[in-house]
Order: sequence, then C-alpha cells, then structure tokens
Amino acid sequence: MITAIYKGSKESAGSMNAALKPRLRLRTPSEYAGWVLSIFVAIGILSSVLTNPNFRWEIVGKYFFAESILRGLMLTIFLTVASMALGTLLGLALAVMRSSHVKPVSIAASLYITLFRGTPVLVQLIFWFNIAALYPNLMIGIPFTDIGMAIDVNTLMGPITAALVGLTLNEAAYMAEIIRGGFSAVGKGQIEAADSLGMSAGTRMRKVIIPQAMPSIIPATGNQVIGMFKGTSLVSVLGVAELLQSAQLIYARTFETIPLLIVASLWYLVMTLLLSYPQSKLEQKYNRASSNLPRKAKAVQLTDPEGAAR
Amino acid sequence: MTTTPDGTIHVRNLRKSFGPKTVLKDINLDIASGEVACIIGPSGSGKSTLLRCLNGLETVDSGVLKVNGEDFGYQETEHAYHALSRKRLAEQRTRVGMVFQQFNLFPNMTAAENVMAGPVLVKRGDRKAAAKRAQELLTDVGLGQFGHHYPAQLSGGQQQRVAIARALAMNPEIILFDEPTSALDPEKVGEVLAVMKSLASKGMTMVVVTHEMGFAREVGDTVVFMDEGYIVERGDAREVLGNPQEPRTQSFLEKVL
Repeated sequence: MITAIYKGSKESAGSMNAALKPRLRLRTPSEYAGWVLSIFVAIGILSSVLTNPNFRWEIVGKYFFAESILRGLMLTIFLTVASMALGTLLGLALAVMRSSHVKPVSIAASLYITLFRGTPVLVQLIFWFNIAALYPNLMIGIPFTDIGMAIDVNTLMGPITAALVGLTLNEAAYMAEIIRGGFSAVGKGQIEAADSLGMSAGTRMRKVIIPQAMPSIIPATGNQVIGMFKGTSLVSVLGVAELLQSAQLIYARTFETIPLLIVASLWYLVMTLLLSYPQSKLEQKYNRASSNLPRKAKAVQLTDPEGAAR
Repeated sequence: MTTTPDGTIHVRNLRKSFGPKTVLKDINLDIASGEVACIIGPSGSGKSTLLRCLNGLETVDSGVLKVNGEDFGYQETEHAYHALSRKRLAEQRTRVGMVFQQFNLFPNMTAAENVMAGPVLVKRGDRKAAAKRAQELLTDVGLGQFGHHYPAQLSGGQQQRVAIARALAMNPEIILFDEPTSALDPEKVGEVLAVMKSLASKGMTMVVVTHEMGFAREVGDTVVFMDEGYIVERGDAREVLGNPQEPRTQSFLEKVL
C-alpha cells in the first residue's frame, strides 16, 4: 500500500504541479501492528471489566456517593490542603535556613531534611501517633523554672493530629529541597543586581528571588500535592476515617472488598485529574514573565499603544 | 574623615585574593569627582574584580578603600576594619550604581518596574513619583515607549540602556560599568555608548571596564591599564592610548588597536 503511493507519484510525475503535491508521512508495518495490538488489548481488558460479575459495578454505583465515603473524601482533602500548606511554609523556612551563611543553622536544616526524607512516612506517622510513649507530658513554660503548664500528650496527639503532624513534617523536608532548588536556579547576577541597588535581604527574597524561583517550584509542588493526596491513604493505619479507611470500614462489614476499593480509587483518580488543571494554570501564570506575550501593565501604564505593537 | 558623599574614589594598597590566587596586588588609585576613568587590560588582569570591590560585590582582603569619602563596607577602628551591618552597606551601595555585562535586569518586572525598583523597594519612595521619574529616565536613554515591556521583549542594547536608567534612578554619585557593551552585538554597541557619553557630559563620576578603545579615547578622562593584578600605567586617556610609556601597555595596545 505504501509502495503504491510511491509508485503512483512516480508514474504520474509531471502530470501535476510538483510544488502542490502533498507530502505524505511514511507508515511502517510495525506502526499498523502497534495499532492492532493495542486495540486488541484494550478490547480484552474492557470486555473483562464489563462482563466479570465480580466487579459488582452496581455496588460501586451504590457507594460512590455514600455519605461516609464523601465524609472520608472531605477529610482526605482537608489533610492534603492543611499538610501541604503547613509543609510548604515550614519548607520555605527550612530552605532559607539551608542556604544560610551561618553554618549551624544550615547544618540543622540539612539534618532535619536528611532525617525526614530518609525514613518512611508510614513509620513517621506511627511514630507521631505513639509519641506519648516518649514524652508523656508536654511542658509549656519557661525552661528551668516552675512556671508553665503540662499537657497530656496522649490526649493531644489524637489520630488526626498525628496524621497532620506526620504528613506536615515529612512534606516540609521535600518542599525545602524543592524550594531550595528553585532558589539556586536564580542567577547569581540577579542577586548582585539586587545588592548593587542596596536591597535588603528580605526585599531581595520577596521581589527578586521568589518570583523567579516560582516557575521551577510550581510544577514540582503540583506533583507534591498530587502525591500528598494519594499519600494521605497511609494515615488509614492510624484509624483516621479518610477516604480509604471509610471504604475499608464498609467492606469490613459487607465483604464487598473490590467494589469499595474501586470506589476509593475512582475518587482518588477524579481528584488527581481535577488537581492537575490548576497546576497547569499556575505554571502558565508564572511562565508569563519569561514568555514573549505582553501582559497588561499594572498600575504603570506609561506608553502609547504603538510601543506595544513592536 | 567623614565627608558628604562626593563622587570620589581613593584606593590604597588594596589586595584581594581568591583562595591561593591573588588577583589584586597593591592597587593604588584615585578617581576625582566627575572623572571618567576607563580600566583596560587583558582578561584575568583583575579589572572586573577591582570594579566589583568598589561597590562591595567582592570583599577586600586588605588596604584602604574610600568611596564617596567614606570607608566602604567597613568601619575603621584603632586596630582593625570592622565590617558594616548589611543595612549600612546597603545604604552605601545606593550611592554607587552598577551596570553589568549581562544587564541583570529583573525578568519578572517590566522595564519601568526595573527602573522603579530602587526608589520604591529600597528607598520606599512614593510609587507615583517613582513612575514619573522612571518614565523620564527611560526617555533620556531613548526608551520612553518601552516602559511596560519585559526584559525578554527588549534587545540587548535596549536592556542595557534600561539597566543604566535603573542605576541612575538611585541618583548615585558614581556609576560603575562592568564591560557594558561586551555582550552586545556590534550594531547595538553604539546606542549604549551614546547614553554613557551623555552621562559623562553631565559630570557623573564613571568607572568603566571596557574593551572599547574608541570610547576610552573619546569620552574617558583617564585610562588605567591593568595587568596581572597591578595597575601598570595610568594617565590622561589620549596620552596613554596614543603614547604609552610602559612596554606592557605598548604590546597590549598594539594587539587591540
């Protein structure tokens, strides 16, 4: 078939304006083989999913919007948002500390990062849940005096608190490295230019370094959010009734294990897809300064339109 | 000892090394107010390092460095020079403008915002007044139409002229130029040199590290020839370039002219 196109165009050479002849892409037999194979595999999987009664799709439909599942989803979203927000703030502080010229400060930050990245989140979560075994009472007060109050750690560190603390502290370590990576992507010349204008360290950070670090921080943070959303399923081991645990609670009762795991998986999938949309929007926003698309000038509109036409 | 900022630079026995490599050895230099001094020399001779010492981008190992009549970056006591706080150093730096080879405009700000960065973000001045002044400065460098453009939308020559406007916005007594035309294509060099020439005619103290011998001859008051960390020859621009006394200067100029 492919050779036929070649032969045909050769034979008719001269009968048609050569400049107007379409340029055709070469399709190899392996490309067609790939098509056929993929379609067969897809049909196989699809028919199995639809015909195997053990999937029990009617049960999936029944529980998809069940109240306890939705409540679990809300808790999962809350844990994701809260631990990402707190983790990012703490990560920013750690990143600043890590790039400090004061050696003990930067060593402290890098120790933290090593410790929290070097141990599994699951272990950290269980550890925080059981922290009362290590410190039964938390003293708040002035050190080396009697002024202060004791708090019972066991009541303070409930499952949700432990989940939040564990996820936040772990996330902070990863965010610190992402943010520090973004900082180091900002050129040395930018820092020198800010210094030569006499900018303070804070202004330099807020107006020069962070805006320029954003394009490399945002996509990585988006991945972290998506990872965190799925990672919250780990806190089910603490008995926190988030999405997975809510599904587990139902199938422990009804033994409809597979349909309920599908319910949970579908919700994770839906949320992950929803999250990737704002991420791509944010990426576009922070890429604007380096793109050639003019943006509407802010308060300072100083020029005639013909300037923009260039 | 403390005088009002006056646009002078005095350097005595200045030394600076990077690890084992000494890049500035016993530099002595005086630059008067309103003087245009061009520093020339082969690459690696320490010219850029000297310039960067003059506004504290590099620290000095030893020697006396007075900029605008003040000890720069340090405070002299009986036995030592004590480094100034970041805040005091920043204050001193606002009086010394710097123009970089790679422009170093802030890519996240428009041309006008770049020019306003100093007055608004550092001096905490009124934003409206700063915008007006930025427009005047951009017009002065021939870019009145380009205030709302981002650096990425400007040519190299235009970016460098914005960078000069940004340095001028702080009303410095001294402006340092670190090879301001080296990153430009030859066609655009002229527009930047024209801006620098008009600055010189207004009496700004300028220290220019450059390879543009034509500019040094035409606009420069003095030429400083550096080699291997020493100032080899210093004198009237036309004298040094036309009739160099030192053999090292002669051989350098023979190659570049």
